[in-house]
Amino acid sequence: MKHKRWSRAAAYLAIAISSLIMIVPFVTTLMNSLKTYKEYTSVPPRWIPETLQWSNYAKVLELGNFGQYTLNSLYVAALSVAGAVFSCSLVGYAFARLRFPMKSALFVMVLGTMMIPPVVIIIPHFIIFNNMRLLDTLTPLWVIEWLAQPFGIFLMRQAFMNIPKEYEESAKMEGCNPFQIYLRIFVPMANPTIATLVIFTFMGKWNEILAPVIYLTTNEKFTLPIGILSLGGQWVGNEQLMVAAALISLIPILALFLFAEKYFVQNHASSGIK
Amino acid sequence: MDQTIKQAGRPDSRAFPAARRKRFSSEGRWGLIMVSPYLIHFFVFVAGPLAASLYFSFSDYDMLNPPKWAGLDNFARMADDPLFWRSLWNTLYFAVLFVPLQTLLALVLAVVLNQKLKGLKWFRMAHFIPVISSWTVILYVADAIFNPRFGMANALLTRLGLDPQRWLQDEALAIPLLVIIAVWKGIGYIMVIYLAGLQSVPGDLYEAGEIDGAGALRKFKSITLPMISPTTFLVVIMSTISTFQAFEQIYVLTGRGDMGSAGGPNNAAMVLMLDLYREGFTYMRMGYASAIAWVLFMILFALTMLQLWGQKKWVHYD
Repeated sequence: MKHKRWSRAAAYLAIAISSLIMIVPFVTTLMNSLKTYKEYTSVPPRWIPETLQWSNYAKVLELGNFGQYTLNSLYVAALSVAGAVFSCSLVGYAFARLRFPMKSALFVMVLGTMMIPPVVIIIPHFIIFNNMRLLDTLTPLWVIEWLAQPFGIFLMRQAFMNIPKEYEESAKMEGCNPFQIYLRIFVPMANPTIATLVIFTFMGKWNEILAPVIYLTTNEKFTLPIGILSLGGQWVGNEQLMVAAALISLIPILALFLFAEKYFVQNHASSGIK
Repeated sequence: MDQTIKQAGRPDSRAFPAARRKRFSSEGRWGLIMVSPYLIHFFVFVAGPLAASLYFSFSDYDMLNPPKWAGLDNFARMADDPLFWRSLWNTLYFAVLFVPLQTLLALVLAVVLNQKLKGLKWFRMAHFIPVISSWTVILYVADAIFNPRFGMANALLTRLGLDPQRWLQDEALAIPLLVIIAVWKGIGYIMVIYLAGLQSVPGDLYEAGEIDGAGALRKFKSITLPMISPTTFLVVIMSTISTFQAFEQIYVLTGRGDMGSAGGPNNAAMVLMLDLYREGFTYMRMGYASAIAWVLFMILFALTMLQLWGQKKWVHYD
């Protein structure tokens, strides 16, 4: 018994230290964002600034293209989320509930696509969007989401497969076609999974760096992660503002996470069961 | 088929045979219409590009002129390209440090967290904040600690009477430090996967172990480890494959948004994806970049096959 209490205490200690290692760097970063430039670059560093410069955050919103980057990121994330929900639920429903020619061969294609690393197709994608005159626009960043990504198809298919048969039988009796059954009965019942898909897609697009780096060249078109990095050249002597800008870009994701933590964890946990 | 049989057994179904047959064939049509987004995806954005990049890898292609067949030139050039070998070596070095370290630490954390501790949710959340942050956010967090001029790590070293370090700007330290930062960022994600795995281990196995007088370490070794080996395999596959394609973290942490300086001092942190990006998108050598992509693809494919084979061979499934 005594042994057990000690091991619990050790567990708490270990996990508390680990949590501090996770959190303290963020607190240090928050402090950096509230410093004057002089404090930010002082050696040795001061952990807590003399006065907290909350005005740094207001300055970020006024300076440079920060507002534009935010709008661009929101635009890309919103269109991607809408596209993923629409296309993955549609395709997932067909695979879960309908019989159609070549179904199993097509499903093997979905499986196969998951094993193809993006690295081997990014150059042809670039060429496709170049031929469509869509380089340096936001379109390449969201348009593929409207064509159903394999992960989302899997997720939605799983959700639709778990819905009992009785629900569609009665609708069929009333003469609903498969699309009506999908839209009126199945989509509303898959809401928790759709929430997972929304969060997964939003986070992926909001944080994405590779595709914006490949496709965007004009500063006004930049999304937040690369836009903030590009401020380095413009804000010499104001680097503490870039720290504030980066933390502002974290706010939407953090808010989503605090309110819907279970969807984040569920999604990641379920990828372990697959 | 089974649907038709079931319905045939119903008293009212014989009343509308024509209507039923029509609905059945229209179901096939609806199915194809509904999967059509994925069909377009597959042919336009997967199969076509795959074939195209294979062709490019045997061609000279600068995007201004049409691709010109070049046989094995790109691969011969790769064999003599010191930057390619440097990148490949660095990528391997990164993976060899990163994958075991992250897997092991995440497993330890998950086992500790799995003891029904109070406040589990808060601990889990703390470990998930780096996971949900973009690499741009992580850059400024890493900078707060490891900035060579005003970071906290050097302040600590100085106070202890040790020499300050140049961290990411130090050739020898760059990759180990990138690994530490990547482990710190990703560990919460792997931990959550392990937590799900641990929760599926039946509790009576541990009770049986206790009756046999097994200690905590013994139970971990003989029960937990074998029972969660499928999870371990999944984690190792996933993290190895993503490590070989690591781009964002190296680009952001060493280049700070400038492709020219990405890759660290003297290319100490140059990795395959960065090399590929430069060859393709900076120098417009799409043929050579595609060849690098295919070599990387083959490595990943071999890894996947090896691990799938190993999984069959010695992973324990209940």
